[in-house]
Amino acid sequence: MIDRMSAWPRRRVLAGMVGATAALGAPAILRAAPSGKPVRVGGTLSLTGFLAQTAVIHKIAAEIMVEEINGRNGFLGRPVEYVLLDDQSKPEVARSLYEKLITVDKVDLIQGPYATAPILAAMGVAQRYGKVIIQSSMGIPKMQTYDMAFPATPFGPEPQKTYPNVILDAMASLPTPPKTIVILTSKFPSAQFMAQGMREESGKRGVNVVLYLEYESGNRDFGAIAARVKEANADFLWVGSLGLESNQLLEALRKLDYTPKNSFHLYPAPGPLALSPDGKNALCSTFLEPAEPFMSRPGVARQAAAYKERATKANLPYAIIDAQAAGMISEWQILEAGVNGAKSLEDKAIAAFLKKNTVDTIYGTLRFDGLYNHGNAEQLIKQVQGGEWKVVWPTKYAAPGVKLIGS
Amino acid sequence: MPSATLLGQALISGVLAGGMYGLLALGLSLSWGLLRLVNLSYFALAFLAAYLTYELGTTYHVEPWWSAVLIVPSMVAIGVVQYWVFDKFKVNELASLLITFSFAVILEVVIQLYWTADYRRFETHYSTLSIKAGPFYIPVLELVLCLVAGALAWGTWLWLRKTYVGKALRASAEDADIAAAYGVDHKKLAYLLSGISAGYAGVAGTFIALIATLAPAQIWAWLGVVFAVVIIGRLGNPLGALFAGMAIGASESLAMAVMSPAWAPVVSFSVLIVILLWDPDWL
Amino acid sequence: MTNANGLPKLAAVLGIAVFAILPTAGLPAFYESFFYLVFFWVSLSTSWALLSGFAGYFSLGHAAFFGVGMYTTATLTTKFEVPFLATIPAAAALAALLGIGIGAVVFRVRRLRGELFALLTLAVTFVIATIILNTPIDGGAGVFMISVPMPAIMSSQTGTIYVLGFAMCVLTLAIAWWVAHSRLGMGLFAIHDDEDVAEAKGVPTFRYKIVAFALSAGIAGAVGGIHAMYVGFLTVGGTFELTVPLYVVLMSVLGGSRHWFGPAVGATVITALLYAFISGGEAMIGRALVGAILIIAILWLPDGVVPAVQKWLRRQRVAGAGASATAMPAELVPVELAPTKPVGQRNILEARTVTKRFGGLQALDGVDLDVREGEILGLVGPNGSGKTTLINVISGHFPLTSGTIAVDGVQIGHLPAHEIAGRGVARTYQIPRPFANMTVLDNVTLAATFGGPARPAAEMRDEAVHWIGFTGLAGKEAALPAELNLHERKFLELARALAARPKLLLLDEVLSGLNPAEIDNAIRLVRAIRAQGATIVFVEHLMRAVVELSDRVAVLNEGKLFALGAPRDVMRDPRVISIYLGKAYAA
Repeated sequence: MIDRMSAWPRRRVLAGMVGATAALGAPAILRAAPSGKPVRVGGTLSLTGFLAQTAVIHKIAAEIMVEEINGRNGFLGRPVEYVLLDDQSKPEVARSLYEKLITVDKVDLIQGPYATAPILAAMGVAQRYGKVIIQSSMGIPKMQTYDMAFPATPFGPEPQKTYPNVILDAMASLPTPPKTIVILTSKFPSAQFMAQGMREESGKRGVNVVLYLEYESGNRDFGAIAARVKEANADFLWVGSLGLESNQLLEALRKLDYTPKNSFHLYPAPGPLALSPDGKNALCSTFLEPAEPFMSRPGVARQAAAYKERATKANLPYAIIDAQAAGMISEWQILEAGVNGAKSLEDKAIAAFLKKNTVDTIYGTLRFDGLYNHGNAEQLIKQVQGGEWKVVWPTKYAAPGVKLIGS
Repeated sequence: MPSATLLGQALISGVLAGGMYGLLALGLSLSWGLLRLVNLSYFALAFLAAYLTYELGTTYHVEPWWSAVLIVPSMVAIGVVQYWVFDKFKVNELASLLITFSFAVILEVVIQLYWTADYRRFETHYSTLSIKAGPFYIPVLELVLCLVAGALAWGTWLWLRKTYVGKALRASAEDADIAAAYGVDHKKLAYLLSGISAGYAGVAGTFIALIATLAPAQIWAWLGVVFAVVIIGRLGNPLGALFAGMAIGASESLAMAVMSPAWAPVVSFSVLIVILLWDPDWL
Repeated sequence: MTNANGLPKLAAVLGIAVFAILPTAGLPAFYESFFYLVFFWVSLSTSWALLSGFAGYFSLGHAAFFGVGMYTTATLTTKFEVPFLATIPAAAALAALLGIGIGAVVFRVRRLRGELFALLTLAVTFVIATIILNTPIDGGAGVFMISVPMPAIMSSQTGTIYVLGFAMCVLTLAIAWWVAHSRLGMGLFAIHDDEDVAEAKGVPTFRYKIVAFALSAGIAGAVGGIHAMYVGFLTVGGTFELTVPLYVVLMSVLGGSRHWFGPAVGATVITALLYAFISGGEAMIGRALVGAILIIAILWLPDGVVPAVQKWLRRQRVAGAGASATAMPAELVPVELAPTKPVGQRNILEARTVTKRFGGLQALDGVDLDVREGEILGLVGPNGSGKTTLINVISGHFPLTSGTIAVDGVQIGHLPAHEIAGRGVARTYQIPRPFANMTVLDNVTLAATFGGPARPAAEMRDEAVHWIGFTGLAGKEAALPAELNLHERKFLELARALAARPKLLLLDEVLSGLNPAEIDNAIRLVRAIRAQGATIVFVEHLMRAVVELSDRVAVLNEGKLFALGAPRDVMRDPRVISIYLGKAYAA
């Protein structure tokens, strides 16, 4: 992983520091509160339906960011208003609602929805109307074919190639590196995509894929699958899971009195897995956790605290900030930087600015000049240690004293 | 070729998973077969019961079976009230589908408003307990679920077949007017049955809380398979529902043991189609 | 009457015109999308109702056809670069073929009706979904349509999709209207109420169900093909989830599934409701409110919106005309004593060694029977002797196990019931089985329509009115069977049978349950029927009627023809008396 820090021009570092200072709460008299007609930013989230459990996280993060932005300079000195609609977890509803926001409500800008299918639907609309669209949860970058679409989460342009190697590097660093691997995956597009990449890269690096199984998303009974996993008894278990599937699988394995030696889970719901007794030492993909070195990034500590407070008040059982919330935060940071940097609400100008500049976000410095407007891949690995998620790999992102636990 | 151990374990796991299908199907089968009401709200009621079990368990540390003592009768009461509405408005079969579906949507919203859409898991120390029998593992909670489901199904079946009340219900289901001429009080029996069916949903909910992770959208996760179980087990036949559930669970599980698990639904539903077309006498 | 008819037609034309030119009005794209979604659900739910609402074959598998359509278009456009518009007919054709395939297998099996049909269609959906998920058609990665070129029918993509959706909607509603007003529709409605009776009345039930299913599936396929472009990214989960099959049911039920326009109303209401509460702040409350509104609506209007509106309109009209709407029991119309015709020479019915076995039960054991033209043959025998079975076998309700039956020289033993009906055989049922949701007039018109060669609709109607008058039911044309008493319903059975102008009329205990005055009237009616040129075989327990009416009497016992001859001779035969064990004179 190339260290980008040394390549930053000083001007950008300065800009970042100024922004950070402002965010950290320079006295109010030093800046004027945004005033005038609000800049309306429209978007949808899956507030009802089967995607609702993650959309609510995005909603809270968005509220925090809008408040933060309005606490600074807003967009070009005007306050920001988030016009949020419910797409009911349905892409066709998402599409029509983005059309409503753009053609009827005539919002100034738009913000992306949650999950691949609604994002693609919204992207189509954005493309037809020449709007910039920023999204944070599309795990298949090559589908982001629209030139003015920008990723807020640093998947990198080819995560199915880059991320398996991150995992394999981590595994290779263990005292007894795994030689065999079982790959399970849900047939959900973003999970299956990564599983196929994992299989390919494992093969290239001489890790033997002894079992490769696909199950349909929505599978209820993991008993037989668990029995096959136990029988294969590989050194490493990689699961392309979403939502609760990891919990269900690990529970099913435990009922067979089997604990996998090392297990990795792609996109599970973080709370249930961390809190589950079966989740001990489980590995997972992430882009951020509320610990060092992330907390030192400008504004993150405050955002993490605000998220915890609001999530708790909203009665969410798991109120710890993580990659999903951070993704939404990053979306707004990029939009703010784009608007204020281009000094314009024109989508073309914003897009041009983003392509040529970097933006300091909760994920660090992001750039958008690569393939599919993606910059570097910054997908990390976290592990459940002591009931909490801790980033363990690459080691430079691990908090002091935290290291990967293998077996 | 998978080992005998693997196949055996898959069979056990599938049959036990089918117990849950059968338990969820019980109320729906009775209501549909004997009352001509397709009550989709049982799925939502089961989840409401599950969430209440979770709430009592985590906030007040009440054991699930004690919670059930409170929750199941409440479900019975809801079932009785539901029937009052159906009767007062003379709701027919198709309309009952629409009404109960809408009611389930309302319940889903209520659940989401109070407990949010985020996942909740009722952790207990016995959730991963298993009994080891030779090379096989039999998860305890699922086993208890199956025993309870079996007891309820068998008890209901006996009740319908052997007692006056049961026979009267079946007569009313066939021809309410004639049955009334013989002195069968259809109304009272229908209230009883509606309450019991909802009560079964409550029992299912207790186990859902113990076995599954809860999210409001999960209410609809079992809809398709339970529909299949209800029909293949023949409407109004509680034992049929249970055996059909176990059969479907077993066929799904065995398929997943032998081939790519994503292909499993083809196997179980193709078998279903073949059985429906062939209709052997032993079914 | 002309004014009332003109208004809906005018509204329809205006409606079509308005929606047709809407895209050119420069409305924001959202409204085009919203109306497209309305058209989408209207088409989908109306197509579902063609089979499931009209004919009552409740299908839970509409997603299968819809999904096949979606993936046909997706595959053809992305993998084979077929122009989008050309894929729509392909999508429709493939889906229709699937429907025909399922129907060909399933519709022949009598017990696969009701819930079993619902389950089968659901199972087929799961199977197809899984196959698509695990093969290169989708394979799990989803199908991305963004690079598929849209035809430039309108200046914007949404405008084009609107036009396609609108065209599909108009086409679907036109098909539904045409079906509802055609012979096909009449047959489907009859199948809904009582399929076996419909078949016996000459409705080619198998063929009609296949046609309805093919239309239903084909439309769903076409709708799916268009929708693939709208959604832009197809996933198996999103396409085959239970939403589509469940929503089309809800929409049809809400609007009224037996009416061609019912599902359209339901679809519009529900789609509008779903968009009424989209604001992020009210999302959840809104969803609950939609549920509550639907509950209240269907509780208040249990048959659906459209039938309720129709009923209200009818009440307004009746109240306005001042006519009394209460049904009074039909006056027994005394039937004129008709001159007796001499019995002909040729045999209308020739049964040879007719055998019928039900599993281990031998119901008919080699019955030989000839019935001469113009004859009235009484068919008697103790309970279980096979009388009704013989009627059922002649009319085709049950297939023969062995033997032959010829009607007017034509072998009918192997024919399906509706073809037997077409060859001039009609029957009544001991417990009347009228089509419960059709009026008296429609019941009889159907029998006239399907009982013989095709004739103009107006002629059929007149024929029906004639027979309704003949059987003393004049004035009750608009009544539903539930409003008639037993005597009237039995005569409705007769009117239905007669409207087909049968050569051979089979009456199954037409007198049971009638009082003495009604019985006398019925006997006169039977004679009048014979005077019209029909040959009658009637099953009866009432001995005085048997003796009075019959030219000959046939006695069945244990599935065999026990005795045959003049009434008095047969009834006085000690063997016959003994098989009845003294029940001979019950009159």
